[in-house]
Amino acid sequence: MYGQTRLIHHTPPPYGVIGQELKLVALSFEVIEPIDATLYYRLPGSKSFLEIPFKNSGINWEASLPGFSLTAEGLEYIIAFQFSRDRLVSFPREDPFNNPYYLTTVPPKGQKKIGMFNNLYSEDILILSPEPNELVNQESVLIATSFFNTDKVDFSTVQLFLDDLEVTNSVLIEEGILTYDPGILTIGIHSIQILMKDIDGESIIPLKWDFIVGTERIEILDLVTYNGRLNSRLSSEKLGRTSLNIAEVIGDFSVDVQWAKLNTDLRLTSRESPYSQPNNRLGTAFSIGGFLDVNMGDFYPQLSRFTIDGKRVRGLGIDADLKWLKVQFINGELNRAVQEKAGVNGGYNILYDLTTPNEDGSKTYYLDRTGFSFKRKITGLRLSTDLFSKLNMGVHLVKTRDDTTSVNRILDNAKFYSDTLVQNIPVSNYTLEEFKNALLLSGDTLLAPNSHWKGQKPKDNLILGFNIGTVLDNQKLTLDFDWNMSLYNRNIWDGVMSISELDTAIDDSLDGYIGLTYDRDGKEISGSTKIKTSDILIDPENIQSLFIINTNMTPLVPIDLTALSSNPISSIINMPSSAFKIKLRGNYSRNSLLVEYQQIGPEYVSLGNPFLRNNTRQFTISDRISLLDQKLFLNIGFKHLDNKILKTTVSPLNTNTLFMNLTFLLGLNMPTFVFNYQSIGKNNEKTSLDSVGSKTIDFREDSKAANTMFSVSIPFTSGSLKQNFTLNTVNINNLDNLIKKRSESYLFPKTDSKTISMTLSSLFPSQLKTVALISQTRLDIPSRLGNQLIKIPYIWTHLSLSANKQILEEKIKAKGSLSFLNSKSQINSKVLGLRAGFDFRIQENLTASITSQVRFNYRPSFNKDKLDNDGDGQIDNSGEVFDMNSLGIILNIQYNF
Amino acid sequence: MILYKIIIANIFFFTILFGEDRIAITTKIIGKAYYVRGNNSELPVTKGHIFENGDILTTSKGGFVALLYIDDKTALKVKENSKLTISGKRAAKSIAKEIKLDRGTLRAIVKKQNQNDFIIRTPVSVASVKGTDFWLISNKTNDSIIGLEGKIAFLNILSGETVDITIGKTGISSSEGSLQSFKTDPSTIPEDLSVDINGDQILEIEFENASGKKKTLIIKYK
Repeated sequence: MYGQTRLIHHTPPPYGVIGQELKLVALSFEVIEPIDATLYYRLPGSKSFLEIPFKNSGINWEASLPGFSLTAEGLEYIIAFQFSRDRLVSFPREDPFNNPYYLTTVPPKGQKKIGMFNNLYSEDILILSPEPNELVNQESVLIATSFFNTDKVDFSTVQLFLDDLEVTNSVLIEEGILTYDPGILTIGIHSIQILMKDIDGESIIPLKWDFIVGTERIEILDLVTYNGRLNSRLSSEKLGRTSLNIAEVIGDFSVDVQWAKLNTDLRLTSRESPYSQPNNRLGTAFSIGGFLDVNMGDFYPQLSRFTIDGKRVRGLGIDADLKWLKVQFINGELNRAVQEKAGVNGGYNILYDLTTPNEDGSKTYYLDRTGFSFKRKITGLRLSTDLFSKLNMGVHLVKTRDDTTSVNRILDNAKFYSDTLVQNIPVSNYTLEEFKNALLLSGDTLLAPNSHWKGQKPKDNLILGFNIGTVLDNQKLTLDFDWNMSLYNRNIWDGVMSISELDTAIDDSLDGYIGLTYDRDGKEISGSTKIKTSDILIDPENIQSLFIINTNMTPLVPIDLTALSSNPISSIINMPSSAFKIKLRGNYSRNSLLVEYQQIGPEYVSLGNPFLRNNTRQFTISDRISLLDQKLFLNIGFKHLDNKILKTTVSPLNTNTLFMNLTFLLGLNMPTFVFNYQSIGKNNEKTSLDSVGSKTIDFREDSKAANTMFSVSIPFTSGSLKQNFTLNTVNINNLDNLIKKRSESYLFPKTDSKTISMTLSSLFPSQLKTVALISQTRLDIPSRLGNQLIKIPYIWTHLSLSANKQILEEKIKAKGSLSFLNSKSQINSKVLGLRAGFDFRIQENLTASITSQVRFNYRPSFNKDKLDNDGDGQIDNSGEVFDMNSLGIILNIQYNF
Repeated sequence: MILYKIIIANIFFFTILFGEDRIAITTKIIGKAYYVRGNNSELPVTKGHIFENGDILTTSKGGFVALLYIDDKTALKVKENSKLTISGKRAAKSIAKEIKLDRGTLRAIVKKQNQNDFIIRTPVSVASVKGTDFWLISNKTNDSIIGLEGKIAFLNILSGETVDITIGKTGISSSEGSLQSFKTDPSTIPEDLSVDINGDQILEIEFENASGKKKTLIIKYK
């Protein structure tokens, strides 16, 4: 993600609302459309991201964060656009996976009941009578609740409402038992609501439930209930010169037989291809009696953050909650076997550098297998227990191994290109058989190995770990420790080695040492790697089914045995192949405090969690505070990240982040203010310049990036017209602390940016909804023009108007949007996007929608630049100046049952 | 306001200091039932009555009382002609519950107990559970226990024998020391009056649509 040469524009929303879906919009400013865009998101501090693909909606790319992901913890996200030839651009631009954008979250407006911090959950208060939805005889209604399990309620604040009428004066509260006898009630449904505050005066989540009074009851009783959804989506799009037609069927189906539940999710897409990892999804979850969950097909297990934390597995997963013991088991595939990539050279490739001459003058050509992926099998087990809700602990083991037999040695139909470097045979595309025959005729030979191919190597990975945690101070303080150790083998083509084979694998001497070399006189060469074979406690051949040990294992001996004897705990904890985290979280009054330290060793690898960045140490301290009756939220903290685990690390990179977020929610139909400030300081402790060849290069880093965001949202009403105005500004400024010590020719490569946006959303009495947006973004990208250092400005102005309206008795929703983007830079361009569509409610459970979009590009400077900008073989033709860049139509049908 | 809170707090304090622990509440009552507290005379149980540790509950012929413990909603459904002592010691987060059943029939729907077992003692037996659902019928010579859910450790006091009663099993414990278990005869399971306390009649109508999907309409009527 470094050195991004392409640009996307994304204005982050000022905040997300807890539990509510949030749409994110990003724009590409490139003439060439991105081929894919992905939204990565996670809870702050998590070690892995979940992914959602962006959808192209004409001028914008859109993705929605699911409501469940927006919690009181906030959320971190990254947007990544992928262009052809594996080029990527991201938001945030710099080091995004270590510095994802933090999105603050606020409680839903008008729901004061949701306390973010010192929350008292409704289950702390027991409903004794009547049970929710219980049928009660007219004469025997008794309303009763128990506060036995909480000492936080101020009983003087308790208010009881029966059918929205306050009856508090008739309520009895004795020793934490609330009772109210309402006398004879009318037949029908009645509702109860209890409002209360805690001893600090904070509102507590109200208790609400309904019950039925009557002597008759009519109900439809289903011993078996089911529901589901089937969605069919057809899209046909033209992006530049590429046509993209996608058909997808998405469905879910749920069956509930009271004691068991079955959920099935399905996605069938025309993007499924044998040349890539699966795009189809089919998963079934079977839950029995709340103690056993069985997943089959595609599922997303989470054993621990350092092993597998939500990455898709295709196979079997079992979660059993046996009260004192919880068992999690997974077995399946992380990756399926892919035999080749599409197209020429997708399965074979001639490596011309490895061509060898033979004694008779002929040549031997080397043909490598390419484009394959091994089937990656994973097995994991976690056993954990929670003792008296005070102490939780667990152990886990995850084994991941590539299956070398899963990839075919020979592909009969795969074509590869042979150019003029293969002499004596025509330049052409060949299959393996055709190429062999051609070489045979020319007198040359072919070397096409059946294994040990030059590209991807089969890997093996074993992780062992444990965690222990406790709850202290009346559940206000939690302390957790999580430790893991990985064994990793980069290449298991040769399988396991015996101890004697290991002894002679690197050096030739069977001397009880691995890697020890000697000079001609038989003296030990100092500085050579020296590992005692006797230090390898387990015979590798005995554990090869669990892990394959050979010389490609890193590290070969995971622990520093010398240090182990003198300082065993420290040497185990700090092993290069270990990862651990210690976290202290406290909830006191209106504060939520977090102190966390985590370290991932330079040799720690988990193939089940590709987002882990090893060789990092991170210390975090933060506090979230709620003030003014949960109207003002303050989130402050500090984070230090470095890669100084090994004492031998040269020029370690230190990143210090200071962050502050202030959210002020005045209330329902009142303004909201959000202010974010983030200061990111980086330095690599370098004090001198480096010499590369004859040149002196300045690799010193000591910089500070200040990211400031301010947003105000003001709702207002004019008659029966309801409107909301939002102003959003984002500034990123970078400062080079070494500017006075640099040479004048030094290019400080960081980009400053400024964004301002205004949005007006309106709801008219006629149910017409409109959203008008205007925004401007300016980037100043440092560049070099000859010997001159300049900052090239990029200014984008974006205008858009979208509207939707229900018509024909709300059976049809018409919707449309118009977007205009003006880009001013070295190349000026204008983009106009139109989008229109309808949603049809055909029946209560059957809906359909049709959406079409078109996008035009206008680039006046292409008319005279003497270049063939669109690659059509013509220079400065009208197609370069104005073209229809994107055209698409999307049909969608959904059936709920 | 501060004075008001101080007064309330003092009332609570003295109530706690000098009163017995309040542990359960009556949620349903049919017919007549009485309770005795300490050396006081017998008083009728009313809807919403709160039981204290050591209260003795007696149900008359045709009587029925449903009560809930206030810490976890463990339920006791006491049928006619029963006599029992309701005990419970309040701790920080739970109530250690014990019932002394002198005679009669009760159903116990016991929520998972975190620390102490839920115990029912009769003159001849002790039933001890963590969390389960069962009927216990006791007369002076025999106890029978019918497991509806979970597991009950059932002990004969005289012989010291123990048997585990699970769902579908009935245990019989006699004053002569014998203890045996066998498959439950469904006709011996007592009627739970709180489930259909009005003696409603039930009419079930099954509907089937064109696709063969079936739904049942259940109408309860007097």
